[in-house]
Amino acid sequence: MNYQSIRAAYEVPIATACAALSPAVPVFFDNLAASTLTSTSEYVMVNITFGLTTEVALKADFDYVRGAIICRVHTPKGKGSARNQTIIAAITGAFQTLNATPRAAGAGVYARVNQIDGPTFDAPADLPHYIGRFSCGFIASVYT
Amino acid sequence: MARDLKFLVKDLKDVTIRAARTTCVQIMNGLVEAGPGYSGEFSSAWYAVPKGDSPGGPRKASGLYKYDLRNVPATKFQTSGIWYTIVNGAPHADVAMDLTPYVYDPDRPDGKAVKPQTTGYRPANATRGQLTGSKGPNTSTAPKDWWPTYSVGGALSKDLARGFRTGFGKATGFS
Repeated sequence: MNYQSIRAAYEVPIATACAALSPAVPVFFDNLAASTLTSTSEYVMVNITFGLTTEVALKADFDYVRGAIICRVHTPKGKGSARNQTIIAAITGAFQTLNATPRAAGAGVYARVNQIDGPTFDAPADLPHYIGRFSCGFIASVYT
Repeated sequence: MARDLKFLVKDLKDVTIRAARTTCVQIMNGLVEAGPGYSGEFSSAWYAVPKGDSPGGPRKASGLYKYDLRNVPATKFQTSGIWYTIVNGAPHADVAMDLTPYVYDPDRPDGKAVKPQTTGYRPANATRGQLTGSKGPNTSTAPKDWWPTYSVGGALSKDLARGFRTGFGKATGFS
């Protein structure tokens, strides 16, 4: 099982989409440095969790893995929701592109996301950020 | 033993309701297993209600709750064409499910957690499960983002299938 290649299949499109924004938005994936959380500027936190990773498949030459992607978009509080939604749209657009990409021949990860839950928005009283959150399930097939 | 065909519709309805109830119980126990458990209050606040209805509050304040069919009364499943949702009615459910940043609860009871705890440091702005490091003043009794992991990571559909199999397996009149 190659968890890292599955992570990369989802993290790279997200990072690329956020880097293409103007200005680019920093993205922090799992196991990030704690100091980033105290920032008051905008950033995106992405957590990828694995659910069922041992499902039996009919064929032996690939692994079938399910899990969840949780994105939290932090933008400065008190400046409206437009920027937050722009960032969310960039990431969900990257997911749509991923879903429309056909499987490459040979070995590799064939990554798909399921329906997106959210976004929901929250502006916690004691915190400097306006937070947009959405999550979706993913299905990845790893061909060896 | 053969059963008169005139009972078919009633039998089908009965077994479908039973399967739905069994599935709810299976899922709610799955949520207890996957979710956090400090006092146990959150684990006791899962309800199956028609979509849009408000759930009740926690059923008890200590120990992990174990659901059975009594928590999902058959009378609630008599109406057809209704969507049911499983929701948590604990006051701090959003925090427990990592949907909003962690907020310290001054009313949180002291004492030993009912589930094993991991320790670490929870930065400001972080959710309940976002602990960094292994040593720190903060604790967590469920992995970060346990809720989406359960609901879309495959465990929910597994519990759903198991609940329906169990519920339909107890059907009478179909042998």
